Amino acid sequence: MREIKRYLKIYKLFIKNCLMAQMEYRINFITGVIVESGYLLAKALYAIVVYSTGVSIGGLSSDAILLFIGTYTMMTGIYMGLFYVNFQKIPEYVRDGSLDLYITKPISTQFMVTMRYFDFGMPIPSIIGGLTMIVIGWRRLNIGITPLHIIGFIGFMLTGILLTYSIFLLPQILSFWTVKTSGVNDISNALWDFNNMPKGIYSKRVQQFGTFVIPIFLISNCSPLVILDKLSIGESVWAISATILFFILSRFLFYKAMRNYSSASS
Amino acid sequence: MCTRVNRRDDSTNTVVRINLSRCIKEEEIGLALIHVEGLSKQFEYYKKELGLRNSIKNLYHRERLIKDAVCNINFDIEEGEFVGFLGPNGAGKTTTLKMLSGILYPTAGKAEVMGYVPWERKKEFKKQFSIVMGQKNQLWWDLPAHDSFYLNKCIYELEDKAYQETLDELVDLLDVKDLLGVQVRRLSLGERMKMELIAALIHRPKVILLDEPTIGLDIISQKKIREFLKIYNKEKKATILLTSHYMNDIEDLCRRVVIINQGKLAYDGDLSHVNDLFSQSKIVKLNFEEVVAEKALTKFGTMKSYEGLSVTLEMDKQNLKEKLKQILEVLPIVDFTIEDIPVEEGIAYLYQKKEGMPDEEAK
Repeated sequence: MREIKRYLKIYKLFIKNCLMAQMEYRINFITGVIVESGYLLAKALYAIVVYSTGVSIGGLSSDAILLFIGTYTMMTGIYMGLFYVNFQKIPEYVRDGSLDLYITKPISTQFMVTMRYFDFGMPIPSIIGGLTMIVIGWRRLNIGITPLHIIGFIGFMLTGILLTYSIFLLPQILSFWTVKTSGVNDISNALWDFNNMPKGIYSKRVQQFGTFVIPIFLISNCSPLVILDKLSIGESVWAISATILFFILSRFLFYKAMRNYSSASS
Repeated sequence: MCTRVNRRDDSTNTVVRINLSRCIKEEEIGLALIHVEGLSKQFEYYKKELGLRNSIKNLYHRERLIKDAVCNINFDIEEGEFVGFLGPNGAGKTTTLKMLSGILYPTAGKAEVMGYVPWERKKEFKKQFSIVMGQKNQLWWDLPAHDSFYLNKCIYELEDKAYQETLDELVDLLDVKDLLGVQVRRLSLGERMKMELIAALIHRPKVILLDEPTIGLDIISQKKIREFLKIYNKEKKATILLTSHYMNDIEDLCRRVVIINQGKLAYDGDLSHVNDLFSQSKIVKLNFEEVVAEKALTKFGTMKSYEGLSVTLEMDKQNLKEKLKQILEVLPIVDFTIEDIPVEEGIAYLYQKKEGMPDEEAK
């Protein structure tokens, strides 16, 4: 418990330091927000097209689809703000040896490396936009806001965040062996975009692959399915189990990678 | 904790290993705070010949080669010692420091720092040591150094009072009070290094590994950092291992040096005795009343410089006394001095050797 408190305190400081550092560069901060707003607009247009055609996918109405797109958009914001900025730096740390000093600190190196930075500019439009879509979809579906729905929705958002961390950290860990990972990065970024739409849009094979092999569909499909009362107990259990499994896997591979770390010449 | 300790015998320049279990009084001899035994590190790499064709060839076939960065080195450092760790570029100094700080796993051998195996990366170990690398920084670039110090306070779990006291003391010693609120990116290289030192020492480490802390600094900044390290070592009894390419750093701070070349131990002993290993000469400076012909002097030794009235000769140690007697009798001497060969020359000699000496010879 004491350790958790300590880590939370340090994480709070990381966030504070990042906020202060980002405020040093106002123009960059504002530009980041504008660029992300542009992306959000593109996504919103996409949602509007789906919405206006009144298409239904796998028995999901356009309002329900909006719920999925909203969750995905919000999750994208969280991923960008919390993890992406850190994950992108890992190959750089390995290549130039800046990981050296992080290893010598009396704190988990994985925590230090993957949580040190926090981006404020990028996630703001996505989180606001995503939340708006969720609220609109939810209201139009006339589904009651029950505590169970709220807990389920937030709970699976949290497992989704942890699963995002675990799955998308894996390609970056490869850099301990390969140094550069841009090829794998492109693939993992493409995988992320698979959640743009409900998983029902894809063929059965793709759905099974994305649920059981690389469970990306568990990231942003479970929360809206809870609201729609379409998430089975089996799927819930698997979503939680997969999150734990992949988190353990990321910890294990990071540990292996640290053993393999050969640093860079000074 | 290791049971063996070392005592350095300055007269013979040897390391005597003593077993504590044989009832040797501990207070007579210091405990080895850093113990290195047969430490080796190999790196795997591959060669790429010049040109595009070879780059394409490299895509499907790479010849794997092994480099022995550090090869079976042994040394012990006692508590409170300030040891210079020298060697030419690529000798394995930084690799050794990285193994001692737990950054790298060795390929073979043992090491203990304060009784911990560094590469086990135990939290308690990390809390008691620090490494400063002149070319790497831990400070947040866009924030004043003060914010980074506070972050370290939380990471090292320091009490408010202890943190404030240490900070005040270090800030005072390094004279950077006015710079605490300035963003790191706006500081000069020297100022930044001072801040890096504070960040590295804020938790009062018992063991400090310094890898070229004065690299790129001007003479005044180098001097200030040297003075600081000297005081810190004396007052806090910290054990310090320092690598530097600046001889002034080493001569000013370290009585003992460990020299490695091509990954092997080349010398371990007093800095002043480096030349004893191989040099049988002394430098004799002579001042004359009147100009003496060069020819008349070369029979006494090798001419190092000739400026008419003042001459420098390198003379054999063995018959120095007799030859000096002759010089005094025959030549119009006004004044003369006898000096050791500069320590830099001895170190340069060890650097240039193709192979590091075997450990026994080194000791």
